[in-house]
Amino acid sequence: MPATTKTNFQLVINGILKENPIFRLALSMCPAVGISTTMMNGLMLGIAVLFVQVFSSCTISLVKDYIHPRIRIPTYTLVIATWVTVIDLTLAALAPVAYKQMGIFIKLIVAFAIITMRLEVFACKNTLWPSFWDGVGMGGGFLFGMLTLGFVRELLGAGQLFGYDVLGFRPLLFFALPVAGFFCVGFLMAAFNYIEIVYNKRKKAVNR
Amino acid sequence: MKEIIRITLGLTISCLIAGIIMGGVFTATEKAKEHNEYLNVRGTMTSMLGFNATHPVPADLRLYSLYRYILDKNGTKSIGYVLPVKKDKKISYALVTVGLDGKFKGLSYLNISEEKVSKIEARKTALDAVVKPPETFTYADSTIIAKKGPKLLAYLLPGEFNGFKSVIKVMLALNSKFTITALEIMEDDEDPGLGAEISEEYFKNQFDDKSLQTMKKIKVIKQPLPNDYRRYLEKSKWKKGEFTKAKIDKIRKKYKDHDICALTGATITSRAMTRGIKGMVKKFAYRIRILDNALKQNKVPVAF
Repeated sequence: MPATTKTNFQLVINGILKENPIFRLALSMCPAVGISTTMMNGLMLGIAVLFVQVFSSCTISLVKDYIHPRIRIPTYTLVIATWVTVIDLTLAALAPVAYKQMGIFIKLIVAFAIITMRLEVFACKNTLWPSFWDGVGMGGGFLFGMLTLGFVRELLGAGQLFGYDVLGFRPLLFFALPVAGFFCVGFLMAAFNYIEIVYNKRKKAVNR
Repeated sequence: MKEIIRITLGLTISCLIAGIIMGGVFTATEKAKEHNEYLNVRGTMTSMLGFNATHPVPADLRLYSLYRYILDKNGTKSIGYVLPVKKDKKISYALVTVGLDGKFKGLSYLNISEEKVSKIEARKTALDAVVKPPETFTYADSTIIAKKGPKLLAYLLPGEFNGFKSVIKVMLALNSKFTITALEIMEDDEDPGLGAEISEEYFKNQFDDKSLQTMKKIKVIKQPLPNDYRRYLEKSKWKKGEFTKAKIDKIRKKYKDHDICALTGATITSRAMTRGIKGMVKKFAYRIRILDNALKQNKVPVAF
């Protein structure tokens, strides 16, 4: 794939809608299913992924010429692990309140497929700025996906949003369980695909 | 061959750089991190003692730590307590050994400072100098004794037991008569919406005001919480003036021997919590009585 020709804005939108990590690429499904029980969890993990993705993308795009092609995957993992550790330690020292909520999620990120995939597909072929915006888009897309999942599951499972009671009762307790994550992801994926099909049809009709 | 050397060299260098960055950040942030953790634990403790923004922590509040060790000498076991003692008007730490039958066995002073005693490695080095082989020691648990001036405020017991999915870590506050005054969930891994509700006020506050006698025969019942009790338990949702002192006293009296109402869909977690806390209170009451007796009879100059 040659260097990208998209504008920065297109790169961000691409990550959030067209190539949304959870609903379109179906990557990093474990956290999406396991952790998205509440909106707060989704938000925290989303922010953590956003930061790691942006930092790793920038680093790789800067040093891409020095990486031997045979050991690029270990190098990516190393870069991701370094950034995860740095963010983890800095947060623990400087922002203990945020760390108390985000701490467990940050350590999980090392194993996320979406970050490695973005480094391999995009960052190692592009310069700093496109990589930065691609990182923002992908992280933002993940954040958006986690928030949507959290919204559905918390509202239906606990009748709350961000821990505040909105319904006053619990409609379907089942949604708080891990199994429901699969259903939610499945239905939302279907919704996303449907929207795309309709959108493409309209576009064709307009062009004709 | 040239390729292999290049790859090896490249990987080594990148690992080294990553290591240096991580190590540098670690050394730069370690102190602040430890301090934050200390503040965190201390904040939980003081809030469990009932201090908050409107009731600030008094200057004469002291927290003394007690560490329990199990000593083993060729199969004969005894209990060792690392506790603060007064020596030359200063606080230093000593190891008090008590036999399983409750008899006082000995007291030896430890060379350890008050700041370092909370670290398990520092205690190990200090104990190594006192406990001679073949006697061995294993760390069991710790207790914090909170005193305001000469008055005993509470015993704070950190503890852990198995929940439904993994270990639940709690901190318990008992008054001098071993009645529970506060319960805080420090760490749990239960399902949100089900078992994780243990950290909600309406469940964990049910344990408040339960005396040692009540705790000994407490059960988990599958009945809904009475409405007035639930309103009372959810203290953060109280409307201003809703609960007068007389009303609070009435509710506390009415429900002080009430069994624990299980959480909907999390009976196993509720049972595990009740069993775990019951065990903690019973064992602690038994142990502290033995220790108190032993200390009093031998006139150990304890700081608390």
